[in-house]
Amino acid sequence: MTETFCSSCIIGARSVISLARASLSHNIAGRGANAPLGYPDTAYELPVAFGLTDLKVATLVDGEKVLDLAEGLIRNSPTLENALEAGAATLLAADVLGALSHKDGNPFPPPSTGFIPDSILRKLGIFMVDGSVPGVAVVIGKASDPSAAAAMIRGFQEIGLLVFLAGSVVQQMDKAGVKLGDDFKTFPLGPLPAVIHAVNFAVRAGLTFGGIGRGQSAAMYSYLSNRVKAFVCALGPMDEIGLAVIAGAMKAGFPVLSDRNLPEVPGSLFRSPAGEEMVRAGMEARGIKAKIVKVPIPIAFGPAYEGERIRKSDTWAEFGGGRGPAYELVVSAPISEVRDKEITVTGPDIPDMPKGGTLPLGIVVRVAGGRMQKDFESVLERRIHRIVNYGEGTMHVAQRDTTWIRVSCEAQSKGFGLADLGMMLYAKIHSDFENIVDRVSVAIHTREKDVLEGMAFARKLYAERDARARTLTDDAVEEFYSCTLCQSFAPNHVCIVAPERLGLCGAINWLDGKAGYEITPTGPNQPVLKGAVLDPVKGAWDGVNAFVREHSRNTVPGFNLYSIMDAPMTSCGCFECIIAVIPEANGFMVVNREFEGSETPCGMGFSTLAGSVGGGIQTPGFMGVGKHYLLSRRFLAAEGGLPRIVWMTKEMKEHLGADLSARAAEIGMPDLVGKIADETIAVTPEQLVQHLKKAGHPALSMPPLL
Amino acid sequence: MTVPLPTQVFPGRILTVTLPAGDGGTPVTVGGQNALPLAPEGEKPNPAAIGMEIRTGNAELPPSLAKAFEGRETDPVSLAMVSADAWGARFLFLSLDGCHPDCGGLRIEDGARIVRDVLAAVSCPVIVGGCGEEEIDAKLFPAAAEAATRPVFLSYADERNYRLVGGAALAYGHGVVAWSPIDINMAKQANLLLSDIGVPPERILIDPLTGGLGYGLEYTFSIVERIRLAGLSGDAMLARPVLCHLGDAWKAREAVDTSETSWGDPGLRGRRWEEATGWACLAAGADLLVFRHPGNVRAFREATWR
Repeated sequence: MTETFCSSCIIGARSVISLARASLSHNIAGRGANAPLGYPDTAYELPVAFGLTDLKVATLVDGEKVLDLAEGLIRNSPTLENALEAGAATLLAADVLGALSHKDGNPFPPPSTGFIPDSILRKLGIFMVDGSVPGVAVVIGKASDPSAAAAMIRGFQEIGLLVFLAGSVVQQMDKAGVKLGDDFKTFPLGPLPAVIHAVNFAVRAGLTFGGIGRGQSAAMYSYLSNRVKAFVCALGPMDEIGLAVIAGAMKAGFPVLSDRNLPEVPGSLFRSPAGEEMVRAGMEARGIKAKIVKVPIPIAFGPAYEGERIRKSDTWAEFGGGRGPAYELVVSAPISEVRDKEITVTGPDIPDMPKGGTLPLGIVVRVAGGRMQKDFESVLERRIHRIVNYGEGTMHVAQRDTTWIRVSCEAQSKGFGLADLGMMLYAKIHSDFENIVDRVSVAIHTREKDVLEGMAFARKLYAERDARARTLTDDAVEEFYSCTLCQSFAPNHVCIVAPERLGLCGAINWLDGKAGYEITPTGPNQPVLKGAVLDPVKGAWDGVNAFVREHSRNTVPGFNLYSIMDAPMTSCGCFECIIAVIPEANGFMVVNREFEGSETPCGMGFSTLAGSVGGGIQTPGFMGVGKHYLLSRRFLAAEGGLPRIVWMTKEMKEHLGADLSARAAEIGMPDLVGKIADETIAVTPEQLVQHLKKAGHPALSMPPLL
Repeated sequence: MTVPLPTQVFPGRILTVTLPAGDGGTPVTVGGQNALPLAPEGEKPNPAAIGMEIRTGNAELPPSLAKAFEGRETDPVSLAMVSADAWGARFLFLSLDGCHPDCGGLRIEDGARIVRDVLAAVSCPVIVGGCGEEEIDAKLFPAAAEAATRPVFLSYADERNYRLVGGAALAYGHGVVAWSPIDINMAKQANLLLSDIGVPPERILIDPLTGGLGYGLEYTFSIVERIRLAGLSGDAMLARPVLCHLGDAWKAREAVDTSETSWGDPGLRGRRWEEATGWACLAAGADLLVFRHPGNVRAFREATWR
């Protein structure tokens, strides 16, 4: 079947070349060999020849050279490669034919436009570079069901694609009342051969916007297939010339979707019924994503509402938070298993509830994408918290199976329902993670039985994720991630985020860094190859040091990830807590940002200490860290780890709570937490040492720090 | 015995960028240096270029500026001509602030017409600035780029709109001013992003956001210096000329407030404030300075610095 297709393409290419030859001879006979050959209103002669060959075309006789070259590309044996070459030949010859037909301007009756001049190309090209025109759909042939084709083209228009029509579909769409013309970015080019004006448009885009010069064919092919996000919808049966054009499109790297029985060529030629399915297939073949400009929900939505609290008396509906089972889950799935924008609500909804009512809730967001990784599920899932809080009248607390959501009376009165909640998640996950997510669906359940079932499944996944997080160790990965977000105010500070040491702001762990890099490859999170181990105990690697040196612009020669006394990591100013040496106690104290007192054993409160820790400088003995770093196996590993902590604020103790005790038990000191002093026990070194001696704190018998 | 002065030799060199002029005009070429400003060593083939802002909006001017404009403040073409001819600006920064709803709300077509008119009236290089309102600029930049009858620079492209501004520049052969909010990494990112969509490096200038004296100048100083050091050390994405727009100096209360008589003559203060900001930017390494006060254009033109 492929062979028949290929041989038809080759025959078609020959026909186009003969037609061009005949027309050219006729023109030469009538107007002379030196009569001009070219399109009106372009700086690029015959654009296809300009972009793909070294031939300069000014006169009719130059046209012959183009056709000779085209003919030279044709090989008879019906292989796919030869078919594609025949496609290239077709494009060259068709551009000659197209130019000949334009010697007196647009040869086609309205609404057909013929050749698109450079002025329109420049205008539209800006929006293609800009992304507000996310792609190009070229629809050719004759629709067997004009109304389905019209719906499809309206679909393209809605997404904002640039649309070219060629063939009977022009008249069909005109008759069907599809809006055509500049304003709708929909250009009815003319009969089928006029499709060449879509091709020469794309080629000129490469010449204008891609910085590609004359005859740089490799660069041009690469631009066409990578930058011009075009695809072809071939409707109805195609004759050999039509097939040759299709081969030309494939050669240019434009995927072709046909509603007929053509052989499928992976990545290049697909079968798809015309209509909604073809819209979806085309968008996916080119990785085109529709931009959601405004989230269609009845309440306001944005970061301005993030801090809004909803009091009990203002609450219409409540989910979870101890009042019933509730959970939220983001799972990735193969692309074929996720239907984009599918938002389902199963069970009673907010309008069915009385004021102050509660319901069980299960939120399952399924995502799919070429660059989605299972590891990113938790990163996306944590975003649910913020997204729900973005709604005016929606409040979200906690996560996973402790989630707690309130919807205000005001939101309810505006008609807010759970489907809107799904829409918020759908839209925001798409826009925030557009580089990694192609499809998003949201399923919301409110029947207790469904929720409990789903929750059991979710808990299994949470457990798997936690198990995976435990295997994520600094030794197990090849690269860490940088974070240079804070260089705006701490110009020489570089955070190195490792699996066992999260960012000092507490907001970025290793997976966030990894996802951040995928989302914005030029952004503040860059992979840092560890390189050779310089000191396994202190946590020094030559790759890390080289990165830090470069990105601190030679001010920080490197640092030890697990040491506070010897070349510690620098701090910007965003640290959740500060660790400071207490020489008298042979250990360290920890004070958190929220601690307002100034009475600590080192004599300084958080804000005074912060002044000497921040700003990207290395101060041995002092360091800003994220709270959860205290629970890491690598916490101050060079100095002996958690047993070195002799004092921490009560608030810190409470915050870390059971996790801290668990970690202490893990290192064989289950009673360690009880031995750590706080502000109610000691606020001077003397009091502290006294307490430590009494409690038998291990730090006193550890090797001296100084 | 003489002790030789240590000289620092950098491996990198700042890219040379030319702002094209119209027929009969003098293009402005900046960059090309391989050393820091003020230091005796190295090659500095192109002195910093001094330009004048031409406004189109109707926001109220500080009296000292209004006086200096000699009644031209509502006529951008006339202001452009006198700036280029009599006041000695080597290039103009045509700000289309007039298209902002708060500054006159000119239509996009009016903005485009002003671009055409100014380009017809002067032959020196021109940078065309947007109005700062995202939705309006999204239409204004393409329109201005199309209206510009000769190559200009479009100001500015940032992390959010770089595709639009870069696309408009590519479509009509213009250059781009890459803006970032006093952040060396974002300055680099803006250049990376513009390169990624195909804007040639010799058509990009860096605008690091210039804080006025007392209002962030020290941050700007540090960032300009660090951008320059990074560029000279071999970071090609930062080895680009830097443009400092001194307009923020006029936002300082100390520059314009007339209620504090002890601060001295308000007619002179604004100009001095801008001047001090300008000197600091030059010392940090700026290659292009945009002034609002004609007196400063003259003063800096005459300074044989660098």
